[in-house]
Amino acid sequence: MDEFALERYFDDSIAKDDFLLEDELGLEGPDASAPPLKVKPAEDLDLSFLPDELSTQDPSHANINDSQTSALNDSHDSGVGLDFNSHASTLATQENPQQGASVSRLGTSAFYPMTPMTPMTPMTPMTPATEKSGIIPQLQKSLIRFWNIVSTVNLCCPLDLKFIALQARNAEYNPKRFAAVIMRIREPRTTALIFSSGKMVCTGAKSEEHSRLAARKYARVVQKLGFPARFTDFKIQNMVASCDVCFPIRLEGLVLTHQQFSSYEPELFPGLIYRMVKPRIVLLIFVSGKVVLTGAKERAEIYDAFENIYPILKGFRKQ
Amino acid sequence: MSASVTRCPGCGSSNIVDDDLYCQAQRVCVDCGSVVSEGVLTDDWTGDTEISYSRTTAVARKPCLNLIKGLQRVKAICRILRVNSEIENHSQTYYTQAYQHEAFIRVSLQKKEVLAGCCVLVSCRLLNWPITMGTISCLLDADPVVVGAVYQEMIKILNIKAPVFIINDVMEAHSQEYKISSLHVPEELAENSRDLTKRAVALVELAADTWIVTGRHPTPIMMASIYLSWQSLKPNKHRLKLTLDKFCQMAKVNKLKPAMKRIAEMKEVLCKLGREIPWVREAVTPDNVMQQVEDILNYRFALLRRALRTHEETLQAESEASGEDSLPEEAASSQVSEHGEQHSNAPTAEECELNAGSAQRPRDGNDDPHTEPEGNTGGGESQAPAPNWGKRVLFAPPCVVHPKRRSVERPECKDVTGDEEISDSEIDSYIRTPREAREFALTQKMLSESEKT
Repeated sequence: MDEFALERYFDDSIAKDDFLLEDELGLEGPDASAPPLKVKPAEDLDLSFLPDELSTQDPSHANINDSQTSALNDSHDSGVGLDFNSHASTLATQENPQQGASVSRLGTSAFYPMTPMTPMTPMTPMTPATEKSGIIPQLQKSLIRFWNIVSTVNLCCPLDLKFIALQARNAEYNPKRFAAVIMRIREPRTTALIFSSGKMVCTGAKSEEHSRLAARKYARVVQKLGFPARFTDFKIQNMVASCDVCFPIRLEGLVLTHQQFSSYEPELFPGLIYRMVKPRIVLLIFVSGKVVLTGAKERAEIYDAFENIYPILKGFRKQ
Repeated sequence: MSASVTRCPGCGSSNIVDDDLYCQAQRVCVDCGSVVSEGVLTDDWTGDTEISYSRTTAVARKPCLNLIKGLQRVKAICRILRVNSEIENHSQTYYTQAYQHEAFIRVSLQKKEVLAGCCVLVSCRLLNWPITMGTISCLLDADPVVVGAVYQEMIKILNIKAPVFIINDVMEAHSQEYKISSLHVPEELAENSRDLTKRAVALVELAADTWIVTGRHPTPIMMASIYLSWQSLKPNKHRLKLTLDKFCQMAKVNKLKPAMKRIAEMKEVLCKLGREIPWVREAVTPDNVMQQVEDILNYRFALLRRALRTHEETLQAESEASGEDSLPEEAASSQVSEHGEQHSNAPTAEECELNAGSAQRPRDGNDDPHTEPEGNTGGGESQAPAPNWGKRVLFAPPCVVHPKRRSVERPECKDVTGDEEISDSEIDSYIRTPREAREFALTQKMLSESEKT
């Protein structure tokens, strides 16, 4: 590993945060293609899970019964498998109020066999850009699991790595291989790379709070060893999450229609690599329906990316 | 205009001569050597062009030797693969472009050779000449991983949108490798290459429809389908007993290990379809399915539809039979339900989805009717190990049906604010006692000394 590259990595990111440049350059790419507005209604896509204002091209769901059941059909396959029960009752009250009005098109959040009479008050404010709000935040939290959070911290004092390696139990230091001390703590179970400049990278945490706590513990250890360490510039650099949509996905089809974002080489890797532009997230999509999302600096980016990809993936179920 | 200055401004002498320095006209004073004028425009054209110093003294710019060799290698690969001239030209263009890019100009010669292969690969893909990356790796005698990495970097740099690999196209080329025509093997084991390919292509299409192909390496699948097609063209005892090993030896190809698993998977699919054949009375097992393969392939769409319908009816029967008390497998909208409110909804949901499933099927047409029931059963995980959705549908990707066991259970994530108090004792547990540190330092010194000696 190039140690200078690593130092530059978080120097750059701490200094400037403008990755938005690309995003603004007219990339409605995934956005535009995600809502089935761009998809010809001739293809037998089930649009009933979308909110009313979008599914104007609803081809064959004139029948209320049909659409309701087909919405249920969708709901059963949406990856909403995981911790569903506990949210059952909360969801019932959080549904899109528009559903009460037009039963023929259950909104995006129709994951339950809702009767039209149920009073529904949305917990999330309805914004005009609801074409993406397919999944309610609480549901997202139960669907999407975070596996790794990488963060950086500046301890603001030069460190004697040999001394640290000598005095700390949980440290390893091999200057010929890598110019940083590798330190580990048990709770939260994480690993830190501590550089002689005083900068530190903390990896392995399962949430942002865990990462912060872990980084503080490392800083404390360094403090206890006698260095005037401070805890400044804590920043989350990367978050890795995964979720399961619970239906198989035709990767060959997906790479054909979203060629500009996807790369699928079965001879090299079994998954499809989807580089979403807004938000700037890389998704690994597998035939089993499992999706890995990475490259986010904030939780919201992961949720947005999932909301963007979910309608696209659904489109590839029935084709 | 000829210079009218006849006196040197430096020394005043009038001894000025014309001295051309590398075709640049100069007038120089003989006495003091100063240049009086240079580059004066003359009205008589001497016919010499002005050439700068660097251009006249520089060594003639030859194209890089390795670039030339690389282009020759590209040409050689194209000739071996017997591609048409258009592909050859394209490859050479791409190679020249990529070679001179900063990402590739300084890599090792071995990588440059791999780059040559990748250029051929991408040109073939763009111009609809199907080859696999494995073929290129073989030709280059390189690690497929390295080939893959170079390929991906190259298309990124050159910004090429190459079409994706389609297994059906490569099937024909692949089957040519198998030496099982009557020229190479005894008559009873021989097969006409055309028949073999036709049947193998049908098998591959069936495999693709039933989720065996997506995400998998294509070559073992092709090998499996050729083997099965060869067996089924004359399903006598002799052929059925011949293992894949022996078959590959006979056909003079290298056996691929995953092909065994693919054979098993494809046989399973064939059995599932074979069971739907109305005129077959006995049970269809992997042992006797090869006799039915011809019929299965001929009528595969109809059989697929029948199989899915049967499967749905079975599911429906199961759900009705199991009644209202906990339907863990049935209702996809509820999990291992601890909440009673879900139960009453579950049967209706199940009915509705089955109706929806059958209502939707005619809409879908002939394409992939079998994908729908997979949608019907969307149950995911829950606390208790519920059967996964893969086991409930008729055709699912094998990685779903046989998931890898996660050895480490995810521990419950405690809620943490990140700003909690950190106990001193915990931090102390990570720091060595002074004595420990001394001993450690001593040991390290002893170790390093012993290493030196």
